[in-house]
Amino acid sequence: MKSIKFLYLLAFGLFIFASCNDDPVIENQEEVITDLVVTLTPTDGGDSKTLIFNDDDGDGGNAPSIVGTSLAPNTTYDAVIVVSGFEEGEDEKEDITIEILAEADEHQFFFQATGLSIDFEYADTDSANRPIGQQFRLITREAGSGTVLVTLLHEPTKDAAGVADGDITNAAGETDVAVTFPVTVE
Amino acid sequence: MSGQVPANAFGQQCSLTLSGNVLDKGTNIPLHFSNVYIQEAEVGMVTDSLGNFQFRNLCAGKYHIEISHIGCEPELYYFQLARDTVLKIYLHHHAELLDEVVVHGHREDNTSQASATISAEVIAKEGNKTLTDLLENITGVSSLKNGSGISKPVIHGLFGNRVAILNNGVAQAGQQWGNDHAPEIDPFSANHLSVVKGASALAYPGNSLGSVVLVEAGDFEEDPHLQGNVNYIFQTNGRGHSLNTKLEQNADWAAWRVTGTYKKRGDTHTPNYFLTNTGNQETNFSTQLKKQFSTRWKSNLYYSLFNTEIGILRGSHIGNLTDLDRALNSKLPFYTEEKFSYNINAPRQRVKHHLLKFESKYFLSENAALNFKYGGQLNNRKEFDVRRGGRTDTPALHLNQYQHFFETVFNQEYRNGMLLKSGVQFNLVDNGNIPGTGILPLIPNYLSYQPSGFVILRKEAKKWFWEAGGRYDMKIYDVTAISNSIPRVFEYFDHQFHNYAFSGGVKYKFSKSLKASLNLGQMLRAPEINELYSAGLHQGVSGIEEGSRDLVPEMSTKLVGSVDWFFRKKLFIQALGYYQNIDDFIYLQPQSDFRLTIRGAFPVFKYEQTNATIYGTDWQLTFEPTQRLKIVNKYSLVRGVDRTQNLPLINIPADNLSSAWQYNFKSSDRFKNPFFSLSGKYVRRQNRLEEEQDFAPTPDEYFLLNASIGTSVSIGHSSFDIGISGENLLNTAYRDYLNRLRYFADDLGRNVSLRVNWKFGG
Repeated sequence: MKSIKFLYLLAFGLFIFASCNDDPVIENQEEVITDLVVTLTPTDGGDSKTLIFNDDDGDGGNAPSIVGTSLAPNTTYDAVIVVSGFEEGEDEKEDITIEILAEADEHQFFFQATGLSIDFEYADTDSANRPIGQQFRLITREAGSGTVLVTLLHEPTKDAAGVADGDITNAAGETDVAVTFPVTVE
Repeated sequence: MSGQVPANAFGQQCSLTLSGNVLDKGTNIPLHFSNVYIQEAEVGMVTDSLGNFQFRNLCAGKYHIEISHIGCEPELYYFQLARDTVLKIYLHHHAELLDEVVVHGHREDNTSQASATISAEVIAKEGNKTLTDLLENITGVSSLKNGSGISKPVIHGLFGNRVAILNNGVAQAGQQWGNDHAPEIDPFSANHLSVVKGASALAYPGNSLGSVVLVEAGDFEEDPHLQGNVNYIFQTNGRGHSLNTKLEQNADWAAWRVTGTYKKRGDTHTPNYFLTNTGNQETNFSTQLKKQFSTRWKSNLYYSLFNTEIGILRGSHIGNLTDLDRALNSKLPFYTEEKFSYNINAPRQRVKHHLLKFESKYFLSENAALNFKYGGQLNNRKEFDVRRGGRTDTPALHLNQYQHFFETVFNQEYRNGMLLKSGVQFNLVDNGNIPGTGILPLIPNYLSYQPSGFVILRKEAKKWFWEAGGRYDMKIYDVTAISNSIPRVFEYFDHQFHNYAFSGGVKYKFSKSLKASLNLGQMLRAPEINELYSAGLHQGVSGIEEGSRDLVPEMSTKLVGSVDWFFRKKLFIQALGYYQNIDDFIYLQPQSDFRLTIRGAFPVFKYEQTNATIYGTDWQLTFEPTQRLKIVNKYSLVRGVDRTQNLPLINIPADNLSSAWQYNFKSSDRFKNPFFSLSGKYVRRQNRLEEEQDFAPTPDEYFLLNASIGTSVSIGHSSFDIGISGENLLNTAYRDYLNRLRYFADDLGRNVSLRVNWKFGG
């Protein structure tokens, strides 16, 4: 059995020479969005409200925290979305909104209310004069409670039917953000 | 019958006799009316009803002998005539009946397990396709696809981690996670491809629960002259070009062979629209060197490089289930362009695969031999996704996998017809993520060590052939994973699995035209790394895939029975049935709760274990009403059940039936073997599936019509094989259950291929 022992030695010998995978590295997931905050300020003045999504450990691990809000009926709010993530390691969060606005023609937010009577209007445009949705207006009607879904699509077909009016059906693209916030209007 | 040769052709003693007979390799049936022609002596004759021929008054010397028969590829043999000689010559008249043992011709590889083979002729004709597409010609083999460029074989209902692919005797490494990875092998580099539909795979390394795919470069011909061929195939669908060339010589110093392949194809199309971003490009190379140092010692060196870039349908790239829902409801796949393009954009894959094999065989005595083998592989895989902020050109997944395989096999043949084959093997895999992707890896870094040993005993006695054997593998994993909570840290794990396998088989020849075989095997398969450690979102399944670290090996018990029956040279029936129980079958179980992420809620699939049963049957019926007409019918049926949950298994091929009619016209001096063939394939709807087991209803049944016409043209020592073939001639819009793209788009529309194969030298 000497020859077999020799083969095993040879196996390990070759392995040392030829297996040159580096030590593993913990990747910095700079693309991953961990936070999304929608700030809603009444056009007629008054306190602003916020919708907050936070999930520092990404897809796995602990469940995300989602905080909704209550809004006044028959009120128009100016809304601004800020998304952020760990751009430079785990110590500090950076604003990813800048990255999205730099590629405004490849991004669009969509809004959808369920169980509530709320209208949404885009308040910003990209270089081709098509909506982005990072800034929008939210108009409440009568009181009620339900949810508001905020969706961010990457590479949507912005000139497809209905997309400029906020209809996601024909928009193609893949979802970068889809968060449902509980909202009451009272 | 005999042919007279001018007595003074070489000015030597010219009284030698060359005789022999011509047989069909697949059935051993004599081929009468075969043309036998000796090029140097310029004499020819036709074989009698027993396939016999005889040439008298030949001079001593070196000769090329050409043998042709209706419906067979002509064969050219080289031999040296020094005394009266009797030759046995085999032609591939029934290529569809060939098996691995017959094609390979090594007695030590004889087995009771059923197998089927794709011969060199078919590879030359259809080498522009993928390895898996070629294997689909075999009854009982289907393919699991992610578009037309990425496919893996499904044999007897199993695929991926459960089917071993041996590239020149070395288990293909490659990264088999998920259904969107294809084996990295160029069919043009092979002389033949075989599928062993076995109950157990004792002598082969690699994961298998019975079935094995063999890719063989083949032996060298005796002919010492330089020979080669150039193969060009154009296909209309995707405007694809495939160019392959092979050169070889059995020279005095060594036998050598070189092959090179270049393939380029653009966007394919369905009957109604282009499949945007489905092009691919391949550059492959292989070389082989064989040296006989002495009558006792020979060595073989083989190297191959497979290099591909594959585009994946743009409209199939989705972010979450809502996206999938929108895609399912869209008439056209999203992002469909009206124009054809050769461009390959994200999502795409780039894969490079190197294989280096060294083999040395030493005969200890006339009946005993020692065979040493080393196989080294490097697989480099990059996957590019559509990403934000200019990261599309940064791979989202980047892996390097090294594999080293060592084997020593000892063969001993005893006088009583007993053959012993035993061996020890060692396999080492080093899989690493290349940093810089900006994404936490789906598969962790790991090392795996696998020492193994096997013993097989075979005995041939008149009508009986027996075999029995056992195998043991130890598999050790050293894993470096990354925690899924922050702060992220490395986590180290190790696993040790003990696998064993036993099998026994018997083959009995009732008569020349009836034989049957029965095989029973039990084997264990250790969980693969993706089954243990997958963590994260899998684009392919629109879900979060989670491994389970406490999985135990699967245990398979499989019974395979087959019958080959020939009736009066006209009817040939091959029937095979199998029944396989797999305890602790590893599968992806959808979990009851959804995982909430920034991209919405995802279903979670976890690797769990259940008890499964797979059974089915493969039928092949060849009917030859006349010498010129041959009809080959194939039928296969597979059923898979999860016995514990009483549910059907997913990804089980639908029942399918095919029929090919080939008519061979009369050969002339210039045009040899002209033929016309018409074939159809019918695939039933896979209705054995509960509604909640899939995202969309399974696709409808479909029928595809194909036709092909071709001939060989001889000019001097060269021969040109030309042909035109059409697939899906009716331009049927269809979707196949085993193609993931069925959620998004139709399958390929009509495709017409044109091929020219130039053989020279010899």
